[in-house]
Amino acid sequence: MLKDSELLGGTTPVVAIALVLLPVVLPSAALATEILIFALAALACNLLLGYGGLLSFGQGIFFGAGAYLASLAMIHAGAGFLTALATAALSGTLIAAVVGALAIRRTGIYFVMMTLAFNQTAYFIAYTLDEWTGGENGLLDVPRPPLALFGATLADLGSPMSYYVFVAVVFLLIFVATKRVIASPFGSTLIAIRDNEARADAVGYNTKHFKIVAFAVSGAITALAGALYAMLLNFAPLENIQMSENIVILTVIGGTGSLLGSLLGAGSWVIISDMFAEVWPRWLIVMGGALILVVLFLRGGIWGGIESLAERISSKKGKPG
Amino acid sequence: MLYAFQVLNGLGLGMIYFLISVGLTIIFGLLNFVNFAHGAFFMIGGYLCYSLVGWTGSFWLSLLFGPLFVAFAAWLAEKILFHRIYHLPHTFHILVTVGIALILQETTIMIWGPVGKNISVPEGLQGVVTLWAFAYPVYRLFLISFTIIIALALWYLLERTRFGALVRAGSESAEMISLLGTNIHRLFAATFALGVGLAGLAGTLSAPVRGVNPFMGVEVLGIAFVVVVIGGMGSFTGALLGGLLVGLVQSLMSTIWPEGASLMIYGAMAAVILLRPYGLFGRA
Repeated sequence: MLKDSELLGGTTPVVAIALVLLPVVLPSAALATEILIFALAALACNLLLGYGGLLSFGQGIFFGAGAYLASLAMIHAGAGFLTALATAALSGTLIAAVVGALAIRRTGIYFVMMTLAFNQTAYFIAYTLDEWTGGENGLLDVPRPPLALFGATLADLGSPMSYYVFVAVVFLLIFVATKRVIASPFGSTLIAIRDNEARADAVGYNTKHFKIVAFAVSGAITALAGALYAMLLNFAPLENIQMSENIVILTVIGGTGSLLGSLLGAGSWVIISDMFAEVWPRWLIVMGGALILVVLFLRGGIWGGIESLAERISSKKGKPG
Repeated sequence: MLYAFQVLNGLGLGMIYFLISVGLTIIFGLLNFVNFAHGAFFMIGGYLCYSLVGWTGSFWLSLLFGPLFVAFAAWLAEKILFHRIYHLPHTFHILVTVGIALILQETTIMIWGPVGKNISVPEGLQGVVTLWAFAYPVYRLFLISFTIIIALALWYLLERTRFGALVRAGSESAEMISLLGTNIHRLFAATFALGVGLAGLAGTLSAPVRGVNPFMGVEVLGIAFVVVVIGGMGSFTGALLGGLLVGLVQSLMSTIWPEGASLMIYGAMAAVILLRPYGLFGRA
């Protein structure tokens, strides 16, 4: 089967093909962009949950912070496109490192509860600082400046398709980079911590240090996704921060421990929400039900289901007559 | 005087937080089960209060039947779904109950609409009384006294009855009391219903004070988590002291810095985590 361990082989060509097909198959490039943005957030959540065993209900903090800070940098400091993205990624790294460092002082359920509590904290902070964030109304009129480097304009990202192409390139780069991180000694140590923290600790790894770094990487990617989302919508709503639960759900439905699963999870989430949004606004019930079914019957998520199906087919073929 | 007023407010708020957290804690203690739908059941308690007051015209009937209905729904959910996943790691408990919370939230919006509702203070408990030098709402005094009675009754139930003894023994070793001949499935379901029913009761009681809205579940869940992080999971005393501490901090801060009152709760939690990672009453 497709392995995440091969950097440019394995799942990477599948993702590349999917990136080309998405805007063709879907009704709009904006919808395809939205899928990739949530896939980035899921990828980052997956890094923590699927590889580090850290279930974080605080991903919305980083997503929201990325959206706000990139927007504020553009609105108040006149930052360009790449500067705004860099601001988001950097602040995401720092905020996630601080939140992670606090939350991992406890393990297990206390850790999970604290990530949720910190998420509420961030929500109230954004709500209180309404002069900056727009409070409940959200931050309006977020620009989407052209892609420029050292003053030279490389591309105007005004059209939905050109913005999609940029986001797709970013997604592919981060997908490959995340694969690299997971295949590195750092990734192996993270998996060791997930499987048996006491043992990893006893072997001599500073497990706290590894978890904080995992948080920082996850925060950077999530904040980047948030910034891209704000520029897609031209708007940074307060609800971004409440996105944590959704990010966890689409990650789990897609499949934890598989990066391609994150793309599948985000894809099904965005497509289902788009299909139901007009007809039946309470479609989240379906996602709640799907989450329960995945936990009960399909622990590996959509991707895990595809994998076991493929294995069953190939093992049938392998048997003589 | 202003402070005395806020201390009373904090006491009422703290007792509500206690009711929510103690339910969470009892369930975790005995069943080793993490219920992320706890806040959603609190919300259902509040909405049932709204509807039952509308139908029957009596707050007292809704105070009786609202929590009972929530407890029954929890018992049913335990029988159908939750008991199947006790053996799985906590992460799976969390994910399944998050799914349930989402379903409850969306169903609430379907039934009652996305906009919050206000519930009028029941007749007979309206108005204010003069205490020392300030006027205090009667309903809030009722809330404080009633929750104290519930807390005492709960303490009696857990410490002085056979059921309580089984719950406490089961929290130490569920396997052992099962071997000694207790029907542990019935005990688990009853405890689950009790714990969630307490959240429903808290929802009903606080509805006339704060109203209801479909998104209050997450907010309340966050506060309950702060309480148990401070007070320690599985401890009655921890839930009581943690709940009161959080209620008082929130209430007193609301005079000093109204916008930041909710924020201070989480600030308090961060401070406790930095100074005493295992909570104020926790052991390493």
